[in-house]
Amino acid sequence: MASHFSGVLKLTDLDDFITPSQACVKPVKVEKKQGRSVAKIQIEDDGSYFQVDQDGQRQKLEKAKITLNDCLACSGCITSAESVLITQQSHEELYRVLRQNKVSSSEQKVVVVSVSPQSRASLAAHYGLSSSEVARRLTSFLKNLGVHHVFDTGFSRSFSLLESQREFLERFRRKEVDKKALPMLASACPGWICYAEKTHGEFILPYISTTRSPQQMMGSLVKGYFASQKGVSPQQIYHVTVMPCYDKKLEASRPDFYLSKYETREVDCVITSGEVLKMLEEENVSLRDVEVAPLDTMFSNVCGEELLGHAGSGSGGYLHHIYKHAAKQLFGVEVDELTYKTIKNKDFQEVTLEKDGQVLLRFAAVYGFRNIQNLVQKLKRGKSQYHFVEVMACPSGSLNGGGQLKPSSDQTNKELLQQVEELYHGERTSVPEQDSRVAELYQSWLESVGKEIARPLLHTQYHAVEKNTNGLSIKW
Amino acid sequence: MVALLPCICINRKALKQEAGSELLYEMKGALELLQRVSAHADASCWYVAWSPAGTLLASCGGDRAIRIWGKEGDSWECKSVLADGHQRTVRKVAWSPCGKYLASASFDATTCIWKKTNDDFEFLTVLEGHENEVKCVTWAPSGNLLATCSRDKSVWIWEVDEEDEYECVSVVNSHTQDVKHVVWHPTQELLASASYDNKVCIYKEEDDDWGCRATLEGHESTVWSLAFDPEGQRLASCSDDRTVKIWKESTPGDGSTDESWKCVCNLSGFHGRTVYDVAWCRLTGALATACGDDGVRVFREDPTADPEQPVFFMSAHVPKAHGQDINCVSWNPKEAGLLATCSDNGEFAIWKYNSDS
Repeated sequence: MASHFSGVLKLTDLDDFITPSQACVKPVKVEKKQGRSVAKIQIEDDGSYFQVDQDGQRQKLEKAKITLNDCLACSGCITSAESVLITQQSHEELYRVLRQNKVSSSEQKVVVVSVSPQSRASLAAHYGLSSSEVARRLTSFLKNLGVHHVFDTGFSRSFSLLESQREFLERFRRKEVDKKALPMLASACPGWICYAEKTHGEFILPYISTTRSPQQMMGSLVKGYFASQKGVSPQQIYHVTVMPCYDKKLEASRPDFYLSKYETREVDCVITSGEVLKMLEEENVSLRDVEVAPLDTMFSNVCGEELLGHAGSGSGGYLHHIYKHAAKQLFGVEVDELTYKTIKNKDFQEVTLEKDGQVLLRFAAVYGFRNIQNLVQKLKRGKSQYHFVEVMACPSGSLNGGGQLKPSSDQTNKELLQQVEELYHGERTSVPEQDSRVAELYQSWLESVGKEIARPLLHTQYHAVEKNTNGLSIKW
Repeated sequence: MVALLPCICINRKALKQEAGSELLYEMKGALELLQRVSAHADASCWYVAWSPAGTLLASCGGDRAIRIWGKEGDSWECKSVLADGHQRTVRKVAWSPCGKYLASASFDATTCIWKKTNDDFEFLTVLEGHENEVKCVTWAPSGNLLATCSRDKSVWIWEVDEEDEYECVSVVNSHTQDVKHVVWHPTQELLASASYDNKVCIYKEEDDDWGCRATLEGHESTVWSLAFDPEGQRLASCSDDRTVKIWKESTPGDGSTDESWKCVCNLSGFHGRTVYDVAWCRLTGALATACGDDGVRVFREDPTADPEQPVFFMSAHVPKAHGQDINCVSWNPKEAGLLATCSDNGEFAIWKYNSDS
C-alpha cells in the first residue's frame, strides 16, 4: 500500500519502532481437540485456509491477527508496522467503540475527541467555513454519533508552549556548563523525533526539548485530570485525537505514553483530517448542513463561541512564543513582530535578536527532510549557531501534513495550502502566559500533585533505536 | 529474433532489430586488448573512472579501496591507494569536472570526497545521510552539484560551496526499490536515475525543490545503468532484461508542457546475460556495454537512419573479455577509442577500439 507517513518517517523505517520481524512469538489461541486426529490444511483459490479433519469435516480457519497492544509488547510480528498502525487506529475503531457503548451497558466508555487546529483549518478549507464554524459543527456531528466530549488541542498546546518557554530559559541559563543544552530542538513533531532516535541516537537526543506535544499533553489532561474530575478510571475513557498527519498515530503508540498501571494509552486512537472526511462521507453528511452545537469549553481554547489560536507558525508557533518570552525574560526586550529571513529555501527561516551589533538570540524554523539533514550535519560538526530550532518533518509544516484533505480537481496543492493557512491564521489568538484558565489548571492540577508527579505529565523521554542488523529483517 | 553467435572480429553481419527489418550491413570493428591489470586482490573491481584529462584511471572495489592508475611508458601503474575511507565495498567513484576532486560511493552508506593535492589524494569530507548502501555518486557538469543514490530507494542532491562545504539540497523518493545509478545531463541541470523497480526517473528543479518530472517505463527488469549521448538529446539505459534501450525526449508539437520520453530504439538479442553498464563516447558517439556474460560490446549508430528512429549495430564484441561478470565500461574522454572495463575477478582492462567506417 502507498505509505501515508511523512517523508522523514518513510526514510526512517517504521519497523524499527513497532519491531515486526519474521517470527511472531505471540501465541494465537488455538482450539485444541483431544484425540489422535490429524487435520489437513487446504488452501482455497481465494487464499482462505480450511482445516479438513479425518471425517472430511471442513472448517474455515481464522486469520491470525495481532493487535497493536500485543504487538508492542512482543518482539516479533508478521504484519508490517504500517498496516498495524493504520488498522488499529482508524475511524473504524472509533465506530467500534461507539457501537460497543450502545450495545453493552456494563462496559461503557467515555468517548473524548480532541481536535487539532490544523485539522479544523483543513476541513474549513474543504467546506468553505471558518475554523470555529467547523468546530461547532464537528462537535454536533460527533456527539450525534455518541461521542461525549469534543475538545480542542489548542488548549493543551498552551501548556506545551508555556512549558517550552520555561524549558528554554532553563537550558539557556545552564548553557555554559551543559554543552548539550542548546540549541533546543522542538519536540512536537513525531516524524522528526523518530528519525532523530533512529538515525542520530544518543548524539542528538539531549538537544531535543522534553516538553510533550499538544497531543500528548491532552492525553495527560484527559486521562489524568479529566478522569479524576469525572470519577472514572483512565481505562474507562476512550481518547481520540484528530490530527493533520499519520505520524501522530506512531506518537500515540509510544510506550512512554502508555499508562501501565491502568493498562491504557493516553491517546487511544489518532484519526487524520482525511479520515474525518471519510466518516462524514460514510454518514452521507456535509459539514455545512450539520447544525451547530455549543463548544465543550473545559479543554478548549475558547472565547464565547469562537475558538482561539496561537500566534506564529501553522506548526504550533513554538519559535514565536519561545523567542518573545526569552527576549523579554533574558534581555528585557519587548518584541512586537518577528522578522523572518529565508536562508536556503522557504522551509528554512531564521530570526535573530540583535542589540548594539551583538546577536543575543538566533532562532530558526527548519521544515522538511533536506533541511533537517543539513541542520543535524552542522550540529555534528559543531557549526550550529542556533539557540532554538522549530523542527518539523513536513515541508511547509503541519498544515501540509500527510493526513490533511487533498485539493479538489480544480485546485493545486499550493493553492489549497494557502487557503488552509489563511483559515488557520484567521482565528483570533490567545497568549498562553495570560490565559487565566490555563494558570488555574496549573494551580489546581499540577501544583497540587507536586513537581515529581507533574513532570512526567508535562514532559517525556526519548530513546535511541538500535540499528537492526538482523539479516532476516532486511528488506531487499 | 536471431540469436547471434559471438565472434571477435566482425567483418560482415546480418542484424535484426525490433523494428522487424532485416538489414545487411558491412562493418568492421575491433577491440584490441592493451593491458590487463589485477587491481583489487581477491575482490570484485566494481568501477573504473577516467579523470577529465584522460590521464588517470580511478578504480574501486570490494577490498574497500580506491586505486589511482597512471600511465608510465606503455603500462598503467598504481599511483595511489586510498584505503581508509570506507568500511565496506566501494561501489563507484567519480571525478569532479575540474579533476581536482574524487567522490566515492560505498556500501557503508557514506560517500567520501577526496581532494587531489600534487600527486596524492587527501580525505576532505564524508557525506552521510543515506540509510544504507550508496550505489552511485556523480558530479554535475557545473561542478557545484553532486547526486547520490542508494538501496534506501532515495536520490540525494548535494551542493558544494566555495569553502568545500557540502550540503543536502534535496532528497527525492520516486523509486519504489533500490536505486542503482544516477547520471547528470551533459549540459542541462537534469538528473536521471535507474532502479531495481525497472524504471528510470528524470529529475529537474522546479519551484524551489527537485522532483521526478518524468518516468521512463519499458524495461522488464532492473535497470542497472544509464548514459546520455554527447549532445544530451538521448539517454541509453541497460538492464537485467538483457536489452539496451535508447530514449528521446519528445517535445509535443501542440505546445503542451508534458515532457515525455519515448523509447526510440531497443537493442535486444545481443547480450547473453544482464547488461550491467553502458557508456556513450563523447568523442565518437560509440556505445559500449558491460555484460554478465563476460563480454564487452561496442555499438555504432547507422548515420543514414531517421533520427527519430535510430538504428544501432554491434560493431565489436569480445566474448570472454574477462573471466567473470563485467561491471563497468568507460570511454576515455580525451583519447578516441580508448576503453576501460573492469570485472568481478578484480581486474580492469584497457582496450583500443578501432572502427572502419
